[in-house]
Amino acid sequence: MDHLVYIRMRHRLQVKPHETVFLKDVAQIISDETIYEKLRQIPVHSVTDKDRNIIVIDVMKIIRLLAAFDQTIEVQTIGPPQIIIEVIAKGKKISMPMFMLIWFLLFFGAALTIMNFHEDVSMQEVQQKIYTIITGEVDSKPLIFQIPYSLGLGLGMIIFFNHVFKKRLNEEPSPLEVEMFNYQLDLDSYVSMNENKESMKNIDDR
Amino acid sequence: MFIGLASGIAVGAGFVAFLSVLGIIPRLTQLTKTMKMIHYYEWAAVLGVIGGAMAALWNPVFSISPFVLIPIGLACGTFVGMLAAALTEVLNVFPILAKRIGVDGQITYLLMAFVFGKVFGSLFQWIYFVSK
Repeated sequence: MDHLVYIRMRHRLQVKPHETVFLKDVAQIISDETIYEKLRQIPVHSVTDKDRNIIVIDVMKIIRLLAAFDQTIEVQTIGPPQIIIEVIAKGKKISMPMFMLIWFLLFFGAALTIMNFHEDVSMQEVQQKIYTIITGEVDSKPLIFQIPYSLGLGLGMIIFFNHVFKKRLNEEPSPLEVEMFNYQLDLDSYVSMNENKESMKNIDDR
Repeated sequence: MFIGLASGIAVGAGFVAFLSVLGIIPRLTQLTKTMKMIHYYEWAAVLGVIGGAMAALWNPVFSISPFVLIPIGLACGTFVGMLAAALTEVLNVFPILAKRIGVDGQITYLLMAFVFGKVFGSLFQWIYFVSK
């Protein structure tokens, strides 16, 4: 007899290293009572060190596993066609120095930008003013502020794009890569709409 | 007084809108994995704006060592650098440029040219150009 099984992949899953991921972790399942518990316990993937920190599992792999489990199963998939598994090394701990650093950065960054706004976007005057506020002296060239500022400019861009030459600061895709991808998607959807004569029909064509 | 308050609200709202369009705060929390602290980051920006406004308009004087300026300068520069990076990203400069000249793989070198250009230009301005 045929079993009908409904599968809905979850969107995102967080696991620890060296853990085995079961079908119940990656998807919601609706099936016959007789096989439900067995289906839940099908191992889908064992996390190894080679996987680094992101794994994507396609629904086709799940269907293949189910077919290997029982030939008579008929699978209906609903929802997203893949799951993103995120491997988290240690318990999520917020690092206090990191937090303080970002807080400090946002605080002074926001202060400087609003001072710039008030001074009619004259960076030089603002920097002289900051120098006077902190030290009480007047200096027309406060290089002790300006040189770290200049280096910080480059540092800020590198942090934002998450790239130092080929080396990445961490594994997340950089906004630039996401942007390239989105641009390519836009081009692709334009091409698929405009090169395909059947996709649009005007009144005079009928 | 009412006019002052009204203009302050307008400017503050504009500032926050600008920050959120550029998405700098989410980017930083994503890099440092501190998603839970995002409210404190909002307060950092708000307090920074208030502090900056007071510093610009009241001219207080603290009379402390000028070396305090080094980390402050670095923080300000990083913030402005991120603003610039976010702006070029919003305007889609890099993806289009890379596609046009066909260097999809070497986009980080383009980026580095940009970064070094910014640093060099800034240093040039403060050290040489201003005193000319």
